[in-house]
Amino acid sequence: MKIEHKELIVIGAGPAGLSAAIEAASRGIQVTVYDENARPGGQLFKQIHKFFGSKEHHAKIRGFKIGDELLKEAHEKGVEVVLNATVMGMFAQKEITVMINDEVHHVKGDAILVATGASENMVNFRGWTLPGVIGAGAAQTMMNLHHIKPGERVLMLGTGNVGLVVSFQLLQAGCEVVALVDAAKNIGGYGVHAAKLARTGIPFYLSHTIKEAEGDDHVTGVTIAEVDDHFQFIEGTEKHFDVDTICVAVGLSPMAQLLKMDGVGMKDTRGGYVPDCDETGATSIPGIFAAGDVTGIEEASSAMIEGRMSGYAIAEYLGYMTKEEKDAKEEELDQSLDALRQGMFAPKNRGKEITKTEEDILISTNLLKHGFVADDEISRFPGFVHKAAIHPVIECTQNIPCNPCQSACHKGCISIGENMTSLPISVKESTCINCGMCVASCPGQAIFLVEEHEDEDYGLITMPYEFLPLPEVGDLGHALGRSGKALCEAEITQVRAPKSYDHTALVTMKVPYHYIDLARFYKKGDE
Amino acid sequence: MERITMHPILGESPEGKCVEFTCDGKKLEGYEGEPIASALRVNGIMVHRYTAKRHEPRGVFCAIGRCTDCVMIVDGIPNVRTCITPLKAGMVVQTQYGVSAKEEAK
Repeated sequence: MKIEHKELIVIGAGPAGLSAAIEAASRGIQVTVYDENARPGGQLFKQIHKFFGSKEHHAKIRGFKIGDELLKEAHEKGVEVVLNATVMGMFAQKEITVMINDEVHHVKGDAILVATGASENMVNFRGWTLPGVIGAGAAQTMMNLHHIKPGERVLMLGTGNVGLVVSFQLLQAGCEVVALVDAAKNIGGYGVHAAKLARTGIPFYLSHTIKEAEGDDHVTGVTIAEVDDHFQFIEGTEKHFDVDTICVAVGLSPMAQLLKMDGVGMKDTRGGYVPDCDETGATSIPGIFAAGDVTGIEEASSAMIEGRMSGYAIAEYLGYMTKEEKDAKEEELDQSLDALRQGMFAPKNRGKEITKTEEDILISTNLLKHGFVADDEISRFPGFVHKAAIHPVIECTQNIPCNPCQSACHKGCISIGENMTSLPISVKESTCINCGMCVASCPGQAIFLVEEHEDEDYGLITMPYEFLPLPEVGDLGHALGRSGKALCEAEITQVRAPKSYDHTALVTMKVPYHYIDLARFYKKGDE
Repeated sequence: MERITMHPILGESPEGKCVEFTCDGKKLEGYEGEPIASALRVNGIMVHRYTAKRHEPRGVFCAIGRCTDCVMIVDGIPNVRTCITPLKAGMVVQTQYGVSAKEEAK
């Protein structure tokens, strides 16, 4: 078999692989990226939500648009992307075998970057193999890539960010989500992601898991039950739901098989079996690098930074960059990566019980147990203020690395400060001009504009709205509370959806004054 | 399951070119180039195969070609991952029993 030669081989065209390829190609390296899928971009094209972080992390931009940008840049830099190309083996001397169109090619690289990402974990329960039990990734693939509903009535198992985000996407696709279930005691993902589900009325069942998926040929129902501290079912706590789909989002595992096969030093960590590599992804074998989820599960934003770091390190390894240049770039990216790894959900805080925010405020336990901040908890957070004139109320109560709201407001109404995990403060002294940019830019949809008319006994509440059909001015319906419970009658007074909001519509409803602190969602019609 | 025609973020779904294919002899329609599995799901078909030993039903699970739960016989070839194989006009799709079609399994 003829051996082909490439300067840099990248395995995986996801966020990490493409980012590395772009940086390496920018330095003049000839890069070939292999991906087993028919489309490049990894999971980015299924991510239709706005990303967290700050501007440098592409915050408030939707994942699929980041994917478009990466592909365009890779193309401009002359990166060769080979699709439907499955790398089957990785061997000594930086050689790989790759199957393209049923033909096996033998390729040798001067350097190799493995950016193969991760695969979904599963849990077993009775009936878990029935058609209708799907992975959360499958749901995203069906609805966001192939434009079909994964199911009509769905139960989600798992409340990490994937479970929360995919549940919201299911609602956007027009599916009904009957419940979110997790064996853990607390919701695992960001509170703001949970809150936007809870206020539509979806219940959360923590310390619960699936007992059985029911159905002969496909799922027709599911029974969940509460579990004790040892994850054993508690008899008599069963709850049944009629569903046609059960979606499983119980974590990811790095796909590091190729690295192991190659003989790279590996380590067993909480995040899975991963290559033992440094910050730049350099493994124990010179010239072999790894970046992204294959080195430990995080998310796309950090994968892109890791990829770029590897790109520079590879450029140095191949002699296209001096060590000084590389070190300078690395330091810069290191800070950016470090910023993403802070806050309540930082890798270093995994498994720790956190009771107070960085500001020394008691965190909302209701948010962790039920998916929404209780009405008597919200006033202790700095985003919650009262003022007659229109002002932002920011229901962002956990320290997460995210600050687009601060940069969205040019009037100084929102302050986070230097530390991007700090809770946003609604600055009472500033004058809000009702531009709505903060509401639209918040990836957690946690900002509301409130106008208080105490004398005339009403208030106006503007909320982010990403569902169809959009309410229309004059519509009458009900205002829902943070728990999704109908509170009072509400009238729609304004609906805005300019291009600058990027598909997050701003809907304003009028409610009796008494409900201005409580009403956070709207539902048309009676109920 | 239904197709999504209008989406709050993605807008109007692209309308594909309608093509005919068969599943277990039944004439069905789907969009050319979409995964066979998508076309089947839209037509209400959830069971793709039955396992060899215990004859349990299996369908789409990962939808990205990794788990192989959705394999079927396509144009006479068994073990085709329907979730990543594009639909073509005139395709003959069959439920897979073990590794073969029903007639041969008996």
